[in-house]
Amino acid sequence: MHYAGVDVGAITAKAALLDDNELVASAVIAAGYNRVEAAREVLAQALQQVGLAREDIARLVATGYGRVQVPNADRTVTEITCHGRGSHWLCPDVRTVIDIGGQDSKGIAVNGVGKVVDFVMNDKCAAGTGRFLEVMAHALEEDLARFAELSLSAQRRVAISSTCTVFAESEVVTHIAAGAPKAAIIAGIHEAIAARVASMVSHIPVREVVMLTGGVARNGGVARMLEERLERTILVLPEAQITGAIGAALFARDG
Amino acid sequence: MPKYPRLQSLKAINRVMERYYVKRKLMARLKPMAYVTSGAPVEILETMGVLTLYPENYGALCGARRDAVRLCEVAEEDGYSQDLCSYARSHIGAVKQPDGAPLNGLPKPDLLLCCNNICGTVLKWYEVLADHYSVPLFVLDVPFQREPQSEPHAVQYVTDQLEALIAWTEEVTGRRWKPKKFREVLALSNETVSLWGEIRDLGMHKPSPVNAPDLFVAMAPIVALRGTRQAVQVYKGFKAELKARVADGVAAVPGERYRLLWDNIAIWYRLYRFFRPFMDAGACFVTDSYTNAWSAAEPVDLDDPLTSMARTLLAVYINLDLETRAGIVADLAQRFAVDGMVMHANWSCKPFSLTQSDIQAAVREQMTLPTLMLEADMCDSRRYNNGAIRERIAAFLEMLG
Ligand code: SF4
Repeated sequence: MHYAGVDVGAITAKAALLDDNELVASAVIAAGYNRVEAAREVLAQALQQVGLAREDIARLVATGYGRVQVPNADRTVTEITCHGRGSHWLCPDVRTVIDIGGQDSKGIAVNGVGKVVDFVMNDKCAAGTGRFLEVMAHALEEDLARFAELSLSAQRRVAISSTCTVFAESEVVTHIAAGAPKAAIIAGIHEAIAARVASMVSHIPVREVVMLTGGVARNGGVARMLEERLERTILVLPEAQITGAIGAALFARDG
Repeated sequence: MPKYPRLQSLKAINRVMERYYVKRKLMARLKPMAYVTSGAPVEILETMGVLTLYPENYGALCGARRDAVRLCEVAEEDGYSQDLCSYARSHIGAVKQPDGAPLNGLPKPDLLLCCNNICGTVLKWYEVLADHYSVPLFVLDVPFQREPQSEPHAVQYVTDQLEALIAWTEEVTGRRWKPKKFREVLALSNETVSLWGEIRDLGMHKPSPVNAPDLFVAMAPIVALRGTRQAVQVYKGFKAELKARVADGVAAVPGERYRLLWDNIAIWYRLYRFFRPFMDAGACFVTDSYTNAWSAAEPVDLDDPLTSMARTLLAVYINLDLETRAGIVADLAQRFAVDGMVMHANWSCKPFSLTQSDIQAAVREQMTLPTLMLEADMCDSRRYNNGAIRERIAAFLEMLG
């Protein structure tokens, strides 16, 4: 038997396939404008990896902002609940999940069975999200992967105090004009995100183990600076981006 | 879509409030008219036959009729900040442009009574009104309370002002103070307040016969008609209807699965719509910190009424310190055996909202209670982000499950 979880977010669509024991396939694609098509496509890609067809899926659970647009889902579950479930499955000792996605960020407190006991969300301001990194990388003409690398190599960090992406961008321009080293500016940008996210998650009790999920988890700079801010080690797994999809697949497996 | 049983008494309450407004329109020229704040000692004015109107209640009406945003914009064009309480903006907007506003605006006041036991906003709001209408304003200054028990000097300070208020009203209206009538009004006021408490307490039953939005509709008379026979009568009917529900096992939310506590002022422009996803999941708001503000008071002592009233005025929920408030919320959570709490971080009402995070933390220290904080505004729907709120509610309901 196989079970599918599809997570349609603001920027990417993710799919995870489980059999009765483990994760057998997963895929991540850009969500684009047509969410219905993205959901179909990401699932097809995951199925293809293991030579399965849609009919081989016993149940499908959809999650993410676009969850209602996933065709033929048996059920929808919010990403908060799915992230809790998925992270617990990946590491049963997880008590706090920090999810930084393309357009929002969340802090989720989970208990010993992977049930959500509290959460906070920021979906008002881009400055604590992946979008902020994208805008800044663009302004500094760097690609995202190198952006993170540079932040880790910086000798010092400039302070970015604006809490708004647009104003932060002009602040960056000011730093460039003042001749600040690029790496220092980039490190400052990462620190700004970490500061925002840390202050948001402080509203839920942050307990170890802390796991970072979502697309921004792939960025080592943010993870490192979050560790500094929270004074805790942060677990980043290769499945960070598909944690929600895994959670959805687990709900599918439950029936 | 599931159907929910309706409360007939709410219609009766709405009719009473319609009559209340019509009467004031008609009588405005015959009797003196006062605008008063929601925490003010209306019983004193009632005793002297002064008609009263509540601009705050009118603000809620503008919200419920979805006229608030337009009226707020009128006030904003005049320079009032978007951060100002939306009751104040709605009312000021309607003062500036009464045509097309609910009831075509309120009849003009002859006097103003502002009691600052709810917030500082009302001080400036009433100054604006005094200036606009060129009418006298009485400011009843009620100091903030740092202890659960009112400090004696504070009680004395407010009592002295109540005496001054009586003398001032006599002078301004040319009407005489009637101690005997005062006793009658206070007795009715006590009865209304205790009925309101009994009504709210019926929410302790499992399943609850009443849901918070019902209380939000039903609260208008406890605010505006305290000390009158109409209020007593209409609440007796409401209580009887709820008791009958309890006897017949009728739930406000059929198949009640979760019992929740609501914190802060209602979201007037989405009164029932907001609660719909909760109701569909079997969640009933069995109690709330908002309408509780009118039932918590002890009865006024008829033999020492002014001192006793002073105590009540000091003990208004948002005039109390953080710990006392947290204690009140925790006590509600316990007495009504709730499974969770939803806090409306209300942009408009700073004194109500500022303490919420700390209250949330304090309540959590005492008990495990899933809580949800939602940012919105009681009247200004521009501050309501439907997508964000929907996501949070869905996740919260899953968390309860
Ligand atoms: S600020 Fe709060 S207490 Fe003051 S008038 Fe507005 S809603 Fe009422």
